[in-house]
Amino acid sequence: MQLWAQDLVNGILAGGILAVVALGFSLVWGIMNIINLAHGAFVMLGAYLTWELFRQLHVDPFLSLPITFVALFVLGYLLQRYVINWVARAPILTTFLLTFGLSLLIVNIALIIWTGDTRGVTTSYSGANFTVAGVTVPWAKLLTLVAALAITGVLQLWLTRSKMGRAIRATSMDIGAAQLSGVRVAHIYAIVFGLGAGLAGVAGTLVSLSYALTPTMGDPFVVAAFVVCVLGGLGSVQGALVGGLVYGIVEAFATQLDVTIGTQHISGSGLQDAIALVVLLIVLLVRPTGIIGRATA
Amino acid sequence: MQFRPTAWLVVLALCGTLAAPSTPASAAGDTIVFGSPVSLTGSLTKEGHLTQEGYEFWKTYINAHGGIKVGGKSYKVDIKYYDDESKNDTSAQLAERLIDQDHVNFILGPYGSGTSFTVAQMVERKKIPMVEGNGAAEKIFNQGFRYTFGVLSPAKRYLEGIIDMASQQKPAAKTVAITAASDAFSQEVAQGAAAAAAAHHMTVVYNNKYPDTATDVSSVISALKQTNPDLVLNAGHVQDALLVQKGLKEQNVQAKGYGYTVGPDTPDFANSLGKDANEVFGAAQWSDAVKYKGAPGFYQTAQQYAKAFEAAYHHRPDYHNAESTAACLAFQYAIEKAGSLDPEKVRDALAKLDVTTFYGIIKFDSRGLNVYKPMVTNQIQNGKLVTVWPKGLAEKPVIWPAKPWGQR
Amino acid sequence: MTPSSTHRALRGIGLGGITGSPIAFAFVLAVMAALLAVPFAHNDYLNIVFRNILMYAAMAYGWNLIGGYTGYVSFGNVTFFGLGAYCSGLLSQAHVDNLLADVALAVAVAGAFAIVVGFPLLRLRGHYFAIATLGVGLAVSDVVANLDALGGTSGLAVRQDNAHFWIYYYAMWAVALASILGTYAIARSKLGYAFVAIRENEDAAAVLGISPTRYKITAWAIGAAMAGAAGAVFGVANGFIDPSITFSPDSNVFPIVMTILGGIGTVGGPFIGALILAGVNELLQRYFVNAHTLFFGAMIVLVVLLLPRGLVWLFGMRGGVRAWLATLTAYKA
Repeated sequence: MQLWAQDLVNGILAGGILAVVALGFSLVWGIMNIINLAHGAFVMLGAYLTWELFRQLHVDPFLSLPITFVALFVLGYLLQRYVINWVARAPILTTFLLTFGLSLLIVNIALIIWTGDTRGVTTSYSGANFTVAGVTVPWAKLLTLVAALAITGVLQLWLTRSKMGRAIRATSMDIGAAQLSGVRVAHIYAIVFGLGAGLAGVAGTLVSLSYALTPTMGDPFVVAAFVVCVLGGLGSVQGALVGGLVYGIVEAFATQLDVTIGTQHISGSGLQDAIALVVLLIVLLVRPTGIIGRATA
Repeated sequence: MQFRPTAWLVVLALCGTLAAPSTPASAAGDTIVFGSPVSLTGSLTKEGHLTQEGYEFWKTYINAHGGIKVGGKSYKVDIKYYDDESKNDTSAQLAERLIDQDHVNFILGPYGSGTSFTVAQMVERKKIPMVEGNGAAEKIFNQGFRYTFGVLSPAKRYLEGIIDMASQQKPAAKTVAITAASDAFSQEVAQGAAAAAAAHHMTVVYNNKYPDTATDVSSVISALKQTNPDLVLNAGHVQDALLVQKGLKEQNVQAKGYGYTVGPDTPDFANSLGKDANEVFGAAQWSDAVKYKGAPGFYQTAQQYAKAFEAAYHHRPDYHNAESTAACLAFQYAIEKAGSLDPEKVRDALAKLDVTTFYGIIKFDSRGLNVYKPMVTNQIQNGKLVTVWPKGLAEKPVIWPAKPWGQR
Repeated sequence: MTPSSTHRALRGIGLGGITGSPIAFAFVLAVMAALLAVPFAHNDYLNIVFRNILMYAAMAYGWNLIGGYTGYVSFGNVTFFGLGAYCSGLLSQAHVDNLLADVALAVAVAGAFAIVVGFPLLRLRGHYFAIATLGVGLAVSDVVANLDALGGTSGLAVRQDNAHFWIYYYAMWAVALASILGTYAIARSKLGYAFVAIRENEDAAAVLGISPTRYKITAWAIGAAMAGAAGAVFGVANGFIDPSITFSPDSNVFPIVMTILGGIGTVGGPFIGALILAGVNELLQRYFVNAHTLFFGAMIVLVVLLLPRGLVWLFGMRGGVRAWLATLTAYKA
């Protein structure tokens, strides 16, 4: 097996999930200028919903994707419309603080409901894989990547072609003009936030196939989402995808670094985050608005 | 209504309440109060709750059986808890609060090596004895502290049992791959495993770490797979154990055996993975198959303990429960031997303690660490956790080598 | 952009000039004076509670300079705190047990790091700068955790003077006071107006002759020094440092949250935010062992919704219930 080829595949597969996680986060940040720190909590809720559906009704996780999307969309819509909207046009830090508090609330409520026990979703096809050209590809991860690409594609089409999509992009560009053209801003904001939450829920479903579920499981994903968004370009759908893939690939190749100097073991996998972040900094210095760039018309 | 004065008053009231001492916990003169900062929230919630269960189970028993006898007088026991949110410095501050504000007599340790270390530092300054059962990093005991005692076997020994067992199977394991999370405990376990492997004439073909917040370890597993190890070992906690086990199956890593530190012993591991958890080995500080005969004053056998515990908490006790209870037992016997609640006398009694319990021998070396108790190796067979090593304690024979994935 | 129009802009949103409400500032100084008395209660635990408040206050002031006054939101200021703490750790390893030396080294290292990293990073704007700083923080934390010489994930023990433990409290108090007075002095000086000018309209400021890069780096470096000093004192006072404690997400987020809650871009805000947030957190932990984080989250949500302008607004406003109600819908979409 060629290790670098396997690493590349691993990186792409991991990057696909990160892209979906980052997608909703990026949209909300890019379009509404809200840093949603509760995004990780939404991912967690999506994962737990999938787990419950799987455990109680034997619904396959991939089939539960539309359910988690709708459920989290509704939650996000209501949260934005009736809570966050009160400070929707406040400076970005005010909403940052609000979502910080909401995140604490949601995670701790989840802790009460589901306790701190670690859960997992293991399907009959979990771990099933095929090998091609010496590279082993797990089916579940491949399907996740396909789902991620499909979601990205559909979202991009919807944002550019549909009436609602155009209204959303108009609002993000110039809120005053949008209002004058008859766009109901509060409703649009709620739709976008709901969309972000729905995407987070979907990400949670996909994540639950390989990652253990606990109430605090969303934390590392939020950090990754931050980096991926900016790496690819805020508010851009393709940006989230490209950013996710680049991030995943870099982290995968980082594990190849495994040397010992004297007594100091330099482990690429131990320094994964540092390496990925150096890449981010380099990208930002060369292209300050990310690889794809800030979403424009 | 003016807001300004109201705002001032609120802030002043806040300062006042902050500075006010809370009522001392040992209001009654015949209660011994223990204080314990445990992780009731945060990343180590589950383990913190297991620790608390272990403590509470002992407390219920001891209060129902006449309490602790100190110089002829019977004392009831109470335990005061705070939530350290799985954070190292919070744990130490909470221990300080327990001692200074709540005036507890002694400290029962938190969960985890990081938190145990900071609390150990703090009790050293306060000269209040602490017994802990959940912080295995040897670093805690290499600082020359006199007031901290650990009833559990040190981190370095965690995977020794599995390595020992693997070296005596047919076909014997000759090559070992070690992966570890980046936290202090896991790193110590990995170092100990590497040393044990060398001592058993096995070659360590892979030895690497991953961040303990990693969301994906596929590439570590790919690199590991290339070295074709007989035995795959992982030092980490439940979350990464699950990630690694799933990853090993996904990438078709076919080793003769797989061993983990914390994962397999928790019911979560088997529940989450189903059949894929079978034939995995787990390192344990204790299992209910051990055959120790304990001193009077508590349940004397592991089986009695397990039965009563399960009746109370509706789940089989795992070793975190047992080692937490053992920490309490250490205090119980030491206090009774000292015949006093004076911290210095109890500390000295702890240092000289040598008693066998349902958990095993409780005896501390000069550093305060219990190096006298061996680790136990369990294996998940058909969804159930059974003890398989050392041979003298085995409930069932070892399943070795592991069957191919999907056939377990 | 003239200083007086900035003044008017700030007054327009209810804040008394670039320094914020003078009454809030006076309140802060009064509380600081009262805090001098804490060690006399001979309660080690209270020492820690208030020492933490002072520590967070210093870090909040550090963040306030770059995030509040200059308008460059940084998610990486915890780096300076951590570097400061490790300065104490390393000096302790080298058998130097001098608190002044620890703080001096920390200020130098943190400030230098801010300058070096600031040159490339401060070319980025807004969100990109924020994430780049987050990245720097995570990267430094990672590197430290991997270096055996710095103790790796196991950390370093730092020698303490057990006989004179109250020194650490007063040292932290001094760092906090320096941060408060430093911010006040800066706010009333040309530096302060330059910072705000950059925040309000960086390009216009440049045209008017304010060199943005120079001032941005200055803001960041001074803020870094504050955080670094706090970290150095913390390192010794805590007696132990490891990456999880010194580069923790809490140490990163709390100063930001405290500053926002208290009132960004003011002299009184960060302290009031630190006092209230840390104080309430402490009380919640004491009385609600199991549900304290839940209540903490709920409290933050309520405060943001009910006081969208920050707590310091309460000190600066005139008028009663009706004025307050007006603020509730000021930011509604």
